[in-house]
Amino acid sequence: MQKSELDNANPTILSVSQLPSRRATGGTARHGPDSKYDYAALASLSSDTSSWPSDDDIDGDHGDDHDGEMWEAPVDEQEIYDLISTISDPEHPNTLGELNVVRLPDIRVTPAGQRSNLTTVLVDLTPTVNHCSLATVIGLAVRWRLEQALPPSYRVDVRMKDGSHAQDDQVNKQLRDKERVAAALENDTLRNVVDKMLETCA
Amino acid sequence: MESFKTWALQYVLSDDEAAQLDIAGQAAKEIEGSRASSTVVGNWAASVQPWMATAQPGNDDQMDDGDDSGNGDIIARAKALGFLAATLEALDRNILRTDQVARLVGFFGAMFSYDHKAGITASTKALRQLRAMKNFKPDMGVKVIEDVSKIKEDFRLQLAPTRLDIYELFLGLLEDESVRSELQHKYGSSCGFVVDLLQICQHERDPKNLLVWFEILVALVRSYDASTEVTEEIFKAFSAYFPISLRTSATPTGITAEDLKSALRNCFAAHGRLATLAFPFLMQKLDQGDAVTVSVKVDILKTIKACVEQYENPQVNVVPHIEKTWSSLKYEVRNGEVKETIDATLEVLRAIANKVDGTSTQKFGASMLKNYIELVFSDTREDLSNSTYTKQAGLLLMTVVTCNVRAYVLESSNLIECLRQNIRQPKSPSHTKDLVLLLNSVLRARMDLVKNRANFNPEDEKLLQAESHTPLETLFHDVYLPLWTKRINDPRLEEVDVLKQVAQGFALIVRQQAVGPDGQVLLLSSVTVCSEICSLLTQSLTQCLSLSSNDNNVRDSALGDEIVLALRSVVMNYTDGYAEFANKARAEIRKRDWTVPSKHSLRALTDLVMRLAFIGCSEIPSGVALGTPSQKPFSPLQHFITLASTALELFDTSSLLGAARPGVSVKESQVNAYIMAALHAAILHFRDACTEKYKQEALASYSKSDRDWVEEFRHMPRDWLRQLQETNGKSDEALASVTEGNLEVYRQFLRLSLFIVRYLYLADSTEESSTPWSGQTRIQLANIAAFVVGSLDEGLQKSCKLASEAFNLFRVDKSPSMLSGPRDSRTEPLTLGILRGLWPGAMIEMYKPDGVAQTFMCDSAGAGSLTSRESQIRASIGLILANKYKGGASTSDPDGQVMGQVMDYWGKQLQVVTTSTNISSTELEALITHAMHIIAGATARQDKNVLGLVSVFQEVIASQNGGTVARSIGILVQSNDLLTPENHAVVRRFYKQWVYSNLAKPLYNLALPTKNGSEAAIRYTAAILSIASNCPFTVYEDDLEPLIRLIITALAIRTSLSKDITRLQVVPALEILVEVLANNADSLKGHLRAIVDSATAIYKESFHEHQERTKQDSKPASRASVLHIVMCRKLVLQLLAALPKKFEVRYLLPFGRVLRRTLWEACGDPIRELRETARLARKNWLKIE
Repeated sequence: MQKSELDNANPTILSVSQLPSRRATGGTARHGPDSKYDYAALASLSSDTSSWPSDDDIDGDHGDDHDGEMWEAPVDEQEIYDLISTISDPEHPNTLGELNVVRLPDIRVTPAGQRSNLTTVLVDLTPTVNHCSLATVIGLAVRWRLEQALPPSYRVDVRMKDGSHAQDDQVNKQLRDKERVAAALENDTLRNVVDKMLETCA
Repeated sequence: MESFKTWALQYVLSDDEAAQLDIAGQAAKEIEGSRASSTVVGNWAASVQPWMATAQPGNDDQMDDGDDSGNGDIIARAKALGFLAATLEALDRNILRTDQVARLVGFFGAMFSYDHKAGITASTKALRQLRAMKNFKPDMGVKVIEDVSKIKEDFRLQLAPTRLDIYELFLGLLEDESVRSELQHKYGSSCGFVVDLLQICQHERDPKNLLVWFEILVALVRSYDASTEVTEEIFKAFSAYFPISLRTSATPTGITAEDLKSALRNCFAAHGRLATLAFPFLMQKLDQGDAVTVSVKVDILKTIKACVEQYENPQVNVVPHIEKTWSSLKYEVRNGEVKETIDATLEVLRAIANKVDGTSTQKFGASMLKNYIELVFSDTREDLSNSTYTKQAGLLLMTVVTCNVRAYVLESSNLIECLRQNIRQPKSPSHTKDLVLLLNSVLRARMDLVKNRANFNPEDEKLLQAESHTPLETLFHDVYLPLWTKRINDPRLEEVDVLKQVAQGFALIVRQQAVGPDGQVLLLSSVTVCSEICSLLTQSLTQCLSLSSNDNNVRDSALGDEIVLALRSVVMNYTDGYAEFANKARAEIRKRDWTVPSKHSLRALTDLVMRLAFIGCSEIPSGVALGTPSQKPFSPLQHFITLASTALELFDTSSLLGAARPGVSVKESQVNAYIMAALHAAILHFRDACTEKYKQEALASYSKSDRDWVEEFRHMPRDWLRQLQETNGKSDEALASVTEGNLEVYRQFLRLSLFIVRYLYLADSTEESSTPWSGQTRIQLANIAAFVVGSLDEGLQKSCKLASEAFNLFRVDKSPSMLSGPRDSRTEPLTLGILRGLWPGAMIEMYKPDGVAQTFMCDSAGAGSLTSRESQIRASIGLILANKYKGGASTSDPDGQVMGQVMDYWGKQLQVVTTSTNISSTELEALITHAMHIIAGATARQDKNVLGLVSVFQEVIASQNGGTVARSIGILVQSNDLLTPENHAVVRRFYKQWVYSNLAKPLYNLALPTKNGSEAAIRYTAAILSIASNCPFTVYEDDLEPLIRLIITALAIRTSLSKDITRLQVVPALEILVEVLANNADSLKGHLRAIVDSATAIYKESFHEHQERTKQDSKPASRASVLHIVMCRKLVLQLLAALPKKFEVRYLLPFGRVLRRTLWEACGDPIRELRETARLARKNWLKIE
């Protein structure tokens, strides 16, 4: 694709440090030059890195930050964000997260934090320009990625954010139509584009 | 005569190189034998006559007809001449007389006129040999050059190797001093021979030849005083090649384009007489604009630099070209975008400045340098006020002003003034940032100049001594301070970068040194300025305690880090500053109420104390004095002493604070743990600083001493550190003599650290139990002790009797029966701390029969009543004691009986507890874990006494409570943080193999379900799995088949038997499977169905169980059991994710559908990490279709 044909030749790009991440919101780790020996000196103060058993080993409160990854954590907005923000843009060498097409506040998981029979994940996308011709492809890739990564009890709804796209109604209609989505993925060319976009996902 | 003829014929007929050499050798010997009599030499030369007849000029036409016989003649003739050349090569260099050499030179030289087809290669070879002869005269050299030049155009037709030979012949002759003067004498400045040479060689293309040709040209320019016209011709000859490149060739010569470039560059830079040609030529190439690629541009710039650097007499050869050069180069930086070109340009500018300044031995007048810098100034001054070009202009100015001392002394004040004016009227925050950055760079460059002044001309030192310091002294108040105070309280995002630069600037101001008239070095800034800078930085670091959690700290963290580094720089030079910082921090911490600290204030406290430790202890302060001397003497350890004393004081205060409120809970005294953490970090930082300064090897051998420091400490006051701080350590005799560059710093650092450890141990073990020492604080202390004690060498540990302090904990009232009474589990972490750091050699005393160690190891009393942490610490002590045991002659246990008794004791204990019916499961667990740890300590050392337990293990595993033993036996080979080199543990390299073959292997037979009843067999299986899962794959590689069978069985029958045994073997079984799959997947090929079936079933069961457990809201599930369930699922998912990568699709097809479904559901696992693994597994299985 020639540069002159790009819908938006000069999009705003966020740096990695500006992207929302679980670690940044936790904010417990120190990073400065003085933190070189935190692992040794502060080890016994945070039970997850310590080889010493802590006082509350037997029946401690598992809600604590330090208990790390091995405790229950329902699928939340950040996790959905992590799944789709790494998808590559079809025309720029950046991810959807960096281009701010996918935004954390525009993701909703309902009902939140509970185990239920049916969970709905709603993602609103914001194309970089409101005439973006690839909005449907991006929506398709996001939808495909989530359907691959989430269990059968999750319903995925991907839309263009209100007013973010000149033809958002049409695009939304296409994305909501299961049959059209399935048919689109049968199309080899389209499928290749989507696969290419998903290559950067872990 | 005949023999020469025969040899010549043989030589011509032979194709074997070795034989030819042999023949030539014989001929040479014959000549040498006759002492080169005219007849013999004549005969030798005439021996090739039969082949030469055809080479007469009149026969040329016939040869050119190119018929077969003609070609045969050429080859034979070439070979015949080759015979002569080879003989000369083998001949003694001294044997031929002058007339003989002259005649031979004439003969071979003539070939270049007559025989261009056959004669050249051999003649060149012969001439090179003749040139090396003793009787070769300079006039013959001239003749050779003239003769060879007669080849004219036919030179191009010669093969490349022949041409190379000719080039080398030329080079050898031209570089020969006597030939040179002969040529000069004969030709004068017209250098007619040069013109001939240039003519015949002008079309050379072969890279190898070019390298020599360029060398010849360099020699011609350098050594022959040729006329301008000839010089121009020579210049044309090589400049035609510029810029040179190299095509990739199918037969690489080993020569790179870079070799050619540098050879050609040497031509340009060969002599100053080329200056009037080279500079305009290169400038013209450079000014071609976009037509020049980056690499060509860099080549041009490097060539200019080489010319500037190598031309003699800069007044004549460089100065006239400076203006033109500068006007071409400035745009490369001002508008340049490519880093390589910019760097190369700056190099040229720097080279010019250094050239006009003079050399380290001879200085030129200052006017040339001054004119040059003023030229740069006049063009760039304006750009500084234009924010688009500030950086570039600054770069240009910086380069010329700071490249040598004189340039700096002459023009730095101008530059600083320029920057100062622009900072007053900035265009934007980023403009300010760029300007401050430039100012900082000037300061940094000045530091380098002062530091390296010893390498410069002695005049430079005088210039530095006479330097005016006013522009620098006023910088702080005029520039940096206003920038800081205006922004620091509420910086906008874009101004944070300015503040970062200002912080760096502060540090640079303090670090500036002034060279006094007597060469003495002092800090340039006054005490007041240093102190003001220090308090500004201190203020911004300590205020984090008073900020509320709503303040946006994320934005400030980068600035905070910059301030930390700046303050460190400051206090390393202005040494009194650290005490100011420490006092301020202490006061701020004390001001607050720490009884119930919030998470935010604990974080602020951590930041402050950890920074305090880093700033003072991560470097060793430098002893450069201030203009006004400090009141305290300097000591390289002073910051460490200050930090330690402050920490201990804070520690005391906060203990008191806790004690004043008897109801304080353990959590509330966490403050102490943070202060202790800072102390720990300080010790680690200081050790690094010593390693950095004195290098690891020096430290490794340097803790040697036979002093009993602990005994010395007993006579010191409790507030010794406080007293030391007041005098910076000079009140102590040993500390007073320590100087900065001395390894003694490290030893005294260890001594102080040991004092701190002793102080805190005493504080903990002697104070009342109501003191707020939390378990965390104590563990923190134990970690410090382990590090400090571990840093001492064995001799010092012995002389300080640290082994006895392990249980005595530095108390004065040593009681020999300290272990007889009820043990104090509270202080056991402290014991562990010392034991971890001890060398086995320093612990020999402890291992007397029935001594301290044995008593401890053979004590299982009260095991059931301890908390899990207490019993684990006790087990760890046992492990270390068992591991560091040393018996045999010249030890306390000459008969080596202690460990035997210990093992016997535990063997019996195991037998008792496994058959006992009235023992609680907690106690059983605690006792067995304890036993396993002690045995593990001995096992890592491959203690033979462990083998005595093999039969005991077999017996107890089969018994009633044997399941716990089977499950825990893996502890023997489990990786353990205590068994590391830092803890001086004794770990044999192959001990895991040893355990496996002695303990696990014999159990395979017993684990067959038919024997010993199925319960016992399953326990044996569990024991094998427990051991194998803790060993690397290579250990059990040979037993894969039976092991996999055991695993498949274990997984299949996991639910059919009582849960405690069977379920607990699922995890090790899966662990081993994951390992086997990674290392030898083929061995699992036949069991895929069984594995997939069990894995899916285990996942489902464990998922179900997880839900069940977490549903029981009334009682939180025990951490261990939930962890176990999660672990099962994690391993299953890892296993399933790895299968598609290891097997071809055809093996996996039958399971694809089921697994894809299972894994899809697993994507909804309640644990986030497992969801990730499940997604990966599903992705891999989606490909199996």
